[in-house]
Amino acid sequence: MSALVRARDVRRDYPLEREAVHALRGVSLEVEKGEYLAIVGPSGCGKSSLLNLLGAIDAPTSGTIEIEGRNVGTLGDREVTDFRLRHIGFVFQRFYLLPILSARENVELPMAEAGVSAAERRERSTELLRYVDLADRVKHRPAQLSGGEQQRVAIARALANRPSLLLADEPTGELDAKTGQEIISLFGRLHADGTTVVVVTHDENLARAARRVVHMRDGVIVQDEVPGG
Amino acid sequence: MVALLLALQLRTITIDQRLAADAHVRVGDTVVVSATPGAGGDSVVLAAIIGRRADPSEIARSDYRVHLHLDQLQRLVGYGDRVDRFAIATHGTPAADSAVRMINDAAFGFRAYRSRDIAVETSATFAVVSRFHRAIGVITIVASAVFLLCILLLKVDERRRDVAALRLLGISRRSVMLTVVLEAAFVSVIGSGVGVVMGWVTSLAVNWHYQARYQTPLRFALVTSDIVIFAVTLSLVLGIVAGALAARRLVRTHPLVLLGR
Repeated sequence: MSALVRARDVRRDYPLEREAVHALRGVSLEVEKGEYLAIVGPSGCGKSSLLNLLGAIDAPTSGTIEIEGRNVGTLGDREVTDFRLRHIGFVFQRFYLLPILSARENVELPMAEAGVSAAERRERSTELLRYVDLADRVKHRPAQLSGGEQQRVAIARALANRPSLLLADEPTGELDAKTGQEIISLFGRLHADGTTVVVVTHDENLARAARRVVHMRDGVIVQDEVPGG
Repeated sequence: MVALLLALQLRTITIDQRLAADAHVRVGDTVVVSATPGAGGDSVVLAAIIGRRADPSEIARSDYRVHLHLDQLQRLVGYGDRVDRFAIATHGTPAADSAVRMINDAAFGFRAYRSRDIAVETSATFAVVSRFHRAIGVITIVASAVFLLCILLLKVDERRRDVAALRLLGISRRSVMLTVVLEAAFVSVIGSGVGVVMGWVTSLAVNWHYQARYQTPLRFALVTSDIVIFAVTLSLVLGIVAGALAARRLVRTHPLVLLGR
């Protein structure tokens, strides 16, 4: 396997009035293609900050982040936005589906932005919603879906432009245990089908399902393990 | 037969609707008209009941209108062969202008006016009232426009999480701006449409109420095509401005900040 993501000595400081908060204090990490990685740690340890950097949402104060060989920290706003659109899929804790759009329209949204034709959008959104077991919910709006169903739509949306990297920030955080387990199974299926998945979570079950677990504390990686490995 | 013969000899009058309603008389009834209440007068037949004209100057008038033949009226009131004013019907404006000029040149003590000029003069008060209403309308529209602008700004600001999610998904600033502005414009047009319909329905109710109250065909509230165009245009402009301002602010803010992180 080759490295899809390379973070080298990454630091991220957030300047406040009196003193800066050092969210990341020199993190280096490589994620291989097809890997299923969970980042865990107590609140405030820097795991979400790291995820934001890996997803080119934020830029490091120092150090470099390379995704598919591109240093995303040096890209301008327009370039980095387009990079996210085409190469990275995001799943959020609170789903963030657009309430006025149907499940299908939510899934088609990133494709429309990427210039995918209407026919292909329809075909691909049907395929994705079937993949997440929501073939019978394509016309439903988010308010008509359960939390688990909304998260599955969000996962389908994240996969819309066939990203090379799927990032998830506490994807089971808003769900009950049973529904959370369904999402964990879905991530397992995505990994089995070759998707590179990085999740940040407090959910032990989700972390246990990952093939590799990175533990963080106080802005640094304190353990990088392959459970059962 | 006797009654018919008697009726044939009687003169006719016309009265206005309000008098007919208050006196409980109908067309064909025989009534007595006299110069003073209770005094002896002439029996006449009510030939017609006349509706009020759509004339604002008649709204506040509480007097009744009775039309009699001129000679009978002169005899009843003892006014002799004199009149205060009379009207001359002409064919077209040039003839009216010519008649006015001729009378004013020839008849000392008379003054002739075009009916249009009299209408303008007598309705001067209503023109002032109309301008006053327009001023109130403009103030109301400006105040409500500012209010609506603030509401629209707040409503768009409530979408900060949606906007943040869109940006994180890789949707460009331009697309987000366009989406928000189009949505705001759409909502504004729908809102103005609903407002126009509400205004039209309200005008129907206002007209129905006051026309019944003052027994006049005058329309008190109007929703004209100009008003509709103005309302929709103003709403659309406000929607686009508010949408653009709010969207601009949102897309310039980092998505993580929008999400409160």
